[in-house]
Amino acid sequence: MTSANSGAGAAAPPPGPAPVPVLLEARRLVRDFGSFRAVNDVSLRVAEGTIHSVIGPNGAGKTTLFRLLTGIHRPTSGRVLLDGRDVTGQAPHAIARRGLAQSFQLTTIFPRLTVLESVQAAIVAASGHRADFVSRFHRSTVPEAMRVLGRVGLADHARTLAGTLSHGDQRALDVALALATKPKVLLLDEPTAGMSEAETERTIALIADLVRTGGITVLFSEHDMDIVFGISDRVTVLHQGRVIAEGTGPQVRANEEVTAVYLGGSGWGMQRDA
Amino acid sequence: MTVARQVLQAVARAAAGARRVRASQPGGALAPPAARATGLAGVAAVLVAFGFLLGASSLLTLEEAVGLALFAVATNLLVGYAGLVSFGQAAFYGLGAYTVALSWQHYNWPFWLTFTLAPVLGGAAAFLVGLVALRARFLYFALLTLAFSQLFYEIAENQYHFTSGANGVFGPMVPSALAQPRAGYFFVLAVVAACLAILWKVTASSFGLTLRAIRENRARAEALGINVFRQELIAFVISGVFCSLAGTLFVVYSQSAYPELLDWQQSGYAVFMVVIGGMFTFLGPALGAVIYTVGQQFLISRTADWQLILGAVLLLIVLFRPDGLAGLADSAARWLAQRVPAVMRRGAPGSKAPPRVAPVASASEGEPQHAARVPGDERE
Repeated sequence: MTSANSGAGAAAPPPGPAPVPVLLEARRLVRDFGSFRAVNDVSLRVAEGTIHSVIGPNGAGKTTLFRLLTGIHRPTSGRVLLDGRDVTGQAPHAIARRGLAQSFQLTTIFPRLTVLESVQAAIVAASGHRADFVSRFHRSTVPEAMRVLGRVGLADHARTLAGTLSHGDQRALDVALALATKPKVLLLDEPTAGMSEAETERTIALIADLVRTGGITVLFSEHDMDIVFGISDRVTVLHQGRVIAEGTGPQVRANEEVTAVYLGGSGWGMQRDA
Repeated sequence: MTVARQVLQAVARAAAGARRVRASQPGGALAPPAARATGLAGVAAVLVAFGFLLGASSLLTLEEAVGLALFAVATNLLVGYAGLVSFGQAAFYGLGAYTVALSWQHYNWPFWLTFTLAPVLGGAAAFLVGLVALRARFLYFALLTLAFSQLFYEIAENQYHFTSGANGVFGPMVPSALAQPRAGYFFVLAVVAACLAILWKVTASSFGLTLRAIRENRARAEALGINVFRQELIAFVISGVFCSLAGTLFVVYSQSAYPELLDWQQSGYAVFMVVIGGMFTFLGPALGAVIYTVGQQFLISRTADWQLILGAVLLLIVLFRPDGLAGLADSAARWLAQRVPAVMRRGAPGSKAPPRVAPVASASEGEPQHAARVPGDERE
């Protein structure tokens, strides 16, 4: 039996025997760019404390979907619920303060801040001290910032300007910035893009560790299917803007339509098998 | 597709590497706090000494430079810290000056009242202008601020019955005690020192950190939960408050207010000072203001083409030292810190006995890591 659904509005049952609260939910999201429908009737339920991955070839609509969830784009129709609250159409900073953090596919950091300052800025952003122009709250955040940096392996680079870090380290900093806001849900858009195999392994281990010990829920996107199977509680497969399958890793892997997309012409996902 | 992405990433990487990456806040990469405090105390002592030593005419030039330093540093809160290039800060500068001048002319309000009223009005005006201008980005933001500034200028120029139009307002509008060059200079110096201390506090605060994060990457800051528009508006208001206060200081040494204070050229001078002084340091723009004022005084008496020379200076700095004279001074200090101990240890080239472990070594003990980084250190 497979629970992978083709078509829209697939409300997958939560994993495990007991119903786990859904932390992030997309309800029938649609996003058009002109006449192009980038996201077509996508529904998604991310259960608390799980790793949920969205896979699909480049151009499947993963990044657009993430931008709808984080408020960067407004959906043409559909709703986004975060922790039971409707956040559709809210500004990115407002959604971020409700506990949703993200790292970007193309590394986006603060090049002329030091690594430490960058993380401090993230902590300040999540605190009530954003408009604090008298005290220096951020100075008291150094230990916490260093702890976050230690977690992603950047503690030795605290005084380095972020723009001078290696590409892999910049990606790690990107994740650290998201972590520093102590999010409930962490969205990682292709966190391993452009990484070496060793860096990829390190990143995947970090993600697994965050969920296990950090009490964080992770939704991440990946175009390489094999990376996600090992750690994902649940996998949603996007193709041409639509959900073509959803389920556990083995369920998705066994799905015929997924196999067809995998092997039939698109030629994606197998790069790391070689 | 994957190839395209890798190409994109390679380009992004190359761009990130090629970009001139510099520390954006004094401290850390720059001079240690103790050295900075000493330097600051030295500058303050010299400025106070000048107050007693200089003649009336030189003192007036210096007074103008100190007043403009506040204007430049307040402008740099936007340009350097928030990454908002405003070409309309003259609107608030002129507003401050006109607040004092017009209240004196029409209502005979005392200077001390209008001196405190001006920053409030400047902040309120900045709030309204910012509400509109900050909706736009980059060039459009600059153009909107410019448009507002010209609006203020047109009002001052055309409402003749109230503003005396192009003639401006002249008269004994400041207390006679402040009209004395020396007293006026010390007053301006004290106000500017206090304002710079406040602005320093603002830039070094948590708010200042979020501002720099916004400058570096607006979308990332937003994604972290920073309300970018609100933070920028706060910065715009703070800048307006201090630009307006700088305008009142202009009245103290000129006893006048006229429409040119509101003109886009005046805004341009502020940006000019910021750029030549160095926008990535707190006091760089103040240095720029002093160099601009003194340089202009020097050139204006010698050539009619003084603006041409200033333009050339600006061009050279933008091309070769985007971090301004403060950045140049910083590099020079580092270079000296690296070279001097090394040269002293080795002795001058050609000298017979290089004193390798001499008493001077202890003098350079504070800089061992710098000396070690000198590339030619191993060369004999």
